[in-house]
Amino acid sequence: MDRRTLRAEVKELLVSGLRLTVGPAEIVDEAPIFGTTAEGAGLGLDSIDALELVVLIEERFNVTIPDEEVGKRAFASVAALADFIVEGSA
Amino acid sequence: MTLAGRRVVVTGGSRGIGRAIVLACAREGAAVAFNYVANQEAADETLAAARATGATVVATQADVGDAEAVQRLFRWVREELGGPADVLVNNAAVTHDALLMMTGDAAWSRVLTTNLTGAFLCCKAVLRGMIAGRFGRIVNVVSPAAFLGKEGAGAYAASKGGLVALTKTLAREVARYGITVNAVSPGLVDTELIAGMAPEQRAALEGRIPLARLATPEEIAATVVHLVSPAAAYVTGTTVHVDGGLTML
Repeated sequence: MDRRTLRAEVKELLVSGLRLTVGPAEIVDEAPIFGTTAEGAGLGLDSIDALELVVLIEERFNVTIPDEEVGKRAFASVAALADFIVEGSA
Repeated sequence: MTLAGRRVVVTGGSRGIGRAIVLACAREGAAVAFNYVANQEAADETLAAARATGATVVATQADVGDAEAVQRLFRWVREELGGPADVLVNNAAVTHDALLMMTGDAAWSRVLTTNLTGAFLCCKAVLRGMIAGRFGRIVNVVSPAAFLGKEGAGAYAASKGGLVALTKTLAREVARYGITVNAVSPGLVDTELIAGMAPEQRAALEGRIPLARLATPEEIAATVVHLVSPAAAYVTGTTVHVDGGLTML
């Protein structure tokens, strides 16, 4: 799967799995998934939402996010998450 | 049958309070898996008694203080019970009789590893499945020692105090996923440990309890069953003291 398709799939999963009110197309590749940037950009998700995302990502993409260190790296942005999935399932 | 369709794991389920919890959950229609560390004879006896209720009950040897063993334990549970656990009772515990100044480092570690790290590892092993299912019940068996301290059992008291704090923290962290986390604090319970005690010693113990008698393991199990049943869906992050009035918090 190419990165663009994977990023789109990750966004779909974010919206459906975490029941977001924004559309997949509105999610920026490089914006943080959790928390907000200095400019106030972000999805309004907190660290406890991340627990559900861990479960969703692990189940869908057959990768493991064992602890918060890996989680921080994986959830830095949609782009980072897509990269993590590619590396993790390789 | 308040637990029909539930998959329950009880750690340290072969004897005493753990055994009573296994039996009570089986009677309420749950499929139950439990582990034991060393006493296979007791485990076999508990297994037979629990299966006599007609429930699916399985047992295996595993040390909850060993991270790899815990991973294997919960993989086995998933296979044997046909799905991930939706109820976890962290009951496995050891103690070490020594004043804190004289408690060896190895003994301290052993008690903390089984009682506190073991519960932590088992919680981690079930949480992904519970979050995915948006339902879970975790009960940690603690002790009045967590609230009152206990001379000569400092490592035990510290491990149980830690478990109370873990209970409250985890309850906050996973509440939104339909998972409740509570503790049960049994007072003095009539188990093998007490059975070996001299009558005067036993009478002295009973004298400290407002209800003036020891608890039966079944009385502790009944509260655990209540906490994991639908009737307690709105109870989380708390400790239920089943101790005859010993602690009164």
